Amino acid sequence: MPAYIGDAGDSPAPADPSSSVPGSGLRSAMAPARAAGRAGAVAALALLWLLVCGPGDSGCHLLTVADLFDRVIRHSGRIHSLSTTLYAELEKHFPPRDNELGKPARKCHTSGMLTPNGKEYAQKIPREELTHLILKLLQAWKEPLSHFNQHIEHHQELPDDSLSKAKQISNMVHELKTGVEKVTEKMQSMGIISNSLNGMASSEGTGLSISNEANMMSDSDFIHCFRRDSNKVQSYLKILKCRIMPENSC
Amino acid sequence: MEAFLPITPCSTARTVQPDAPVNLSLETKTSASITYLWAKWSPPPLAAVSSNSHVYHYELRLKPEEKEEWETISVGLQTHYKVTGLQAGVKYIVQVRCMLDLGEWSEWSSERNIQIPNGESPPEKPTIIKCRSPEKETFTCWWKPGSDGGHHINHTLLYSKEGEEKVYECPDYKTAGPNSCYFDKKHTSFWTIYNITVRATNEMGSNVSDPHYVDVTYIVQPDPPVNITLELKKSVNRKPYLVLTWSPPPLADVRSGWLTLEYELRLKPEEGEEWETIFVGQQTQCKMFSLNPGKRYIVQIHCKPDHHGSWSEWSPEMYIQIPTDFRVKDMVVWIIVGVLSSLICLIMSWTMILKGYRMMAFILPPVPGPKIKGIDKHLLETGKSEELLSALGCHGFPPTSDCDELLIEYLEVEDSEDQQLMPSHDNPSKNMKMIPKETDSDSGRGSCDSPSLLSEKCREPRALPSALQTQDVRAVQENKGAKRSWETQCIASEQEALLFNNESTKSSTWPAVQLLPNNQLPVFAYHSTVEAHTIMLSTTNVNISSVLVGNEEKHQSRYPVAEAVHDNMEKQREMEYSTTEQTTVQVKQNRHNDKSPFLNPKLMDYVEVHKVRQDEEPTVLLKHKDNNGKTEKYTVPGTSKEYTKVSTVVDHNILVLMPDSRIQHTPVSQEPAMETSQNLQQGQAEKNMSYCLTAPSDCKRETSGSEYMDPSSFMPSFK
Repeated sequence: MPAYIGDAGDSPAPADPSSSVPGSGLRSAMAPARAAGRAGAVAALALLWLLVCGPGDSGCHLLTVADLFDRVIRHSGRIHSLSTTLYAELEKHFPPRDNELGKPARKCHTSGMLTPNGKEYAQKIPREELTHLILKLLQAWKEPLSHFNQHIEHHQELPDDSLSKAKQISNMVHELKTGVEKVTEKMQSMGIISNSLNGMASSEGTGLSISNEANMMSDSDFIHCFRRDSNKVQSYLKILKCRIMPENSC
Repeated sequence: MEAFLPITPCSTARTVQPDAPVNLSLETKTSASITYLWAKWSPPPLAAVSSNSHVYHYELRLKPEEKEEWETISVGLQTHYKVTGLQAGVKYIVQVRCMLDLGEWSEWSSERNIQIPNGESPPEKPTIIKCRSPEKETFTCWWKPGSDGGHHINHTLLYSKEGEEKVYECPDYKTAGPNSCYFDKKHTSFWTIYNITVRATNEMGSNVSDPHYVDVTYIVQPDPPVNITLELKKSVNRKPYLVLTWSPPPLADVRSGWLTLEYELRLKPEEGEEWETIFVGQQTQCKMFSLNPGKRYIVQIHCKPDHHGSWSEWSPEMYIQIPTDFRVKDMVVWIIVGVLSSLICLIMSWTMILKGYRMMAFILPPVPGPKIKGIDKHLLETGKSEELLSALGCHGFPPTSDCDELLIEYLEVEDSEDQQLMPSHDNPSKNMKMIPKETDSDSGRGSCDSPSLLSEKCREPRALPSALQTQDVRAVQENKGAKRSWETQCIASEQEALLFNNESTKSSTWPAVQLLPNNQLPVFAYHSTVEAHTIMLSTTNVNISSVLVGNEEKHQSRYPVAEAVHDNMEKQREMEYSTTEQTTVQVKQNRHNDKSPFLNPKLMDYVEVHKVRQDEEPTVLLKHKDNNGKTEKYTVPGTSKEYTKVSTVVDHNILVLMPDSRIQHTPVSQEPAMETSQNLQQGQAEKNMSYCLTAPSDCKRETSGSEYMDPSSFMPSFK
């Protein structure tokens, strides 16, 4: 159902056209990128489409929640690996400003999000909240990533490999979000989690401000932040899976 | 070197100034807040050679840098010295010099500076070595302190988290050991970067290490896997395979999905060199196929978090012995195969050995010889050109001679027996003995039967053949019956012998033909042309004689020999020869057909045809001496002797036979005269035959034994 994919391009456009955010010009420029991203996402998700059946389809092979979870977990793992590689490359090309890792200047735009920073916390919060958190994170990175792609293309000194990686990351994040949404749907339909995903709407609003902050960062910081968040997403997904289905390879 | 040293034997002191010591090193040591200065140096280089005889005295001087006065210290013979009483924090200059045995002092060595450390100084910066988390829930940091500066040092670890300004101190210095800080679960935050520093403090001050940033997520190094089990199982086709199972380290919380471990195992044969590393992934079991049976393998496993972290240590070595896959069935099959193949090889080799020739002939057939009609291959083989030529139609080539020498080879002269026989002809016993001696040695003597055989069988008084008997009036008559019986017996024996000797080269001996070896008897040389016949006669005398005899008796045709051949060719030859050449034998036969009665066809009559002359009537005259003394020689078949010796040849056509040594010579001598006339008439062949039947009147052993008559006794009579 294309409705899922259409999600990618929906959010920014109907938003404030009169915004004086310096990134407005950028936003308009993002539209074609978004379109391209959409096309890529469609193609990338084709496989996921075929295998994830809608509620109305009776002829297709129904995947279990466990399988879905495995898929998304694997996907998130791939994203994390890619980002790590890209981060290493960026570190090589752009030596850190002060040659120090924990410079206070580096502040991720998602730092404001309250996320559990340990196992116990992740296990304590309700499933719905955890799921919502995952989605929020993914959502928060959608736009900055695309912006980053656009931005990084101007860097001539970077190898093409890095550029392609960046592009790939943004695509994959989009797919991952879609996948997680699907899983959420399934869980809700199965009654594993409740339907109280009321935080989704708010995430759209915060995405804008977050993306503004993301523009301030340097490339390597940006990727560093993203790398961390991708690890967060992966860990949350794993914990969520083992909470829901403790018997499946947990 | 000593040669180069100026030696002044009488002076002990060197007036030369030694060199200054070298390698002056200074070191300060602080203990119990007291600082010492250790000074060390080496003697001058050249002194080492003569160090035995020369002893150096050293002197040290030092002064603070700013000062001008030197403080000189006499060190003595050592090359090191400890200086005390130095001011802390002052820089000193040190020098040494040496002296040789009350000689001159050397120059002062080069200056060395040393800073005396303060009794207390701030410690050096410690360094943080590493931080590790074993299970992604806690972590530990280790540091290495610097020099302590003389005082006890306190270390404090301070950390701050990313985004926070607050600085915390290490919650636990003890759990992880000295110079370490253990962060428990409460104090461990993920996805935050820790800024960790270590401060070393002593009485003089403190020093802070460089900050160390760490994100706990990425410093996970788990413990090795535990509960490793190795199990050998048999697959469907009885091949063993190894099943490894293990458990994650106990601290790692894999159940909640918080920490995901990936495993990797390695194994090698016990005596192998290289490890084979296999990445297993997240599973906790592994099946290993294709392991060598009979070998012992070492297995190790380690793990790491699935994303960024370090590999754990390898688990302790586990040994597993793969059993040899020995199947009795396989061995039995191989044994059977081996036995069968060896048997086959044996059989083949034997057949090759035994029938190799045939196989070779089969594989490589012999080249066929020429086949010309009418020519017998044997003619070519034996080299008897005469027959060949005769077969081809050429007669008379090669030219034949009447020489007796040609026949020499076929006659044997027996020495011993005759000699003994002759003198002992009146000694029956000896003769008796001699007879058995006359065993054939295949001398070419035709023999109807082996003499021994004949002699054995003819012990009874023999009856002369009827033909002989008729001539043998006196002797034979009496013995006729006996002789006849003897004849029959002999014939029977001879017949047997005949048959028996058909194919044997050792043909039955002509009893009639025995030459006296001691006498210079003319050797009966067979005419070459006659050789065949004679030989044949001699060798196959049995047949011939019998046939001849038979013919005589039965008035058969003139082709007696046709049946008497042991060889077809010879037969033919005989036939031909008989037809064309009218052998003496045949002629004689024909002539004396009527005389055949006594000639038992069965008797092996072997007469060595001495000579056959084609032009005249071939005559073989065999002088047969009847023991009766009768002139009728031919009627002496019944001698017990197998042989009648041909004593001589007379007129080239008379064979004089000496049938019985016992027989009087005179009669013998007489006989020839009579015989010459009569024998011609008589069937010489008969005589020839009869000689086989030499039947002395009494068939006495002694007479028979003495088949040899001394030809010399009657030879002159002939001549």
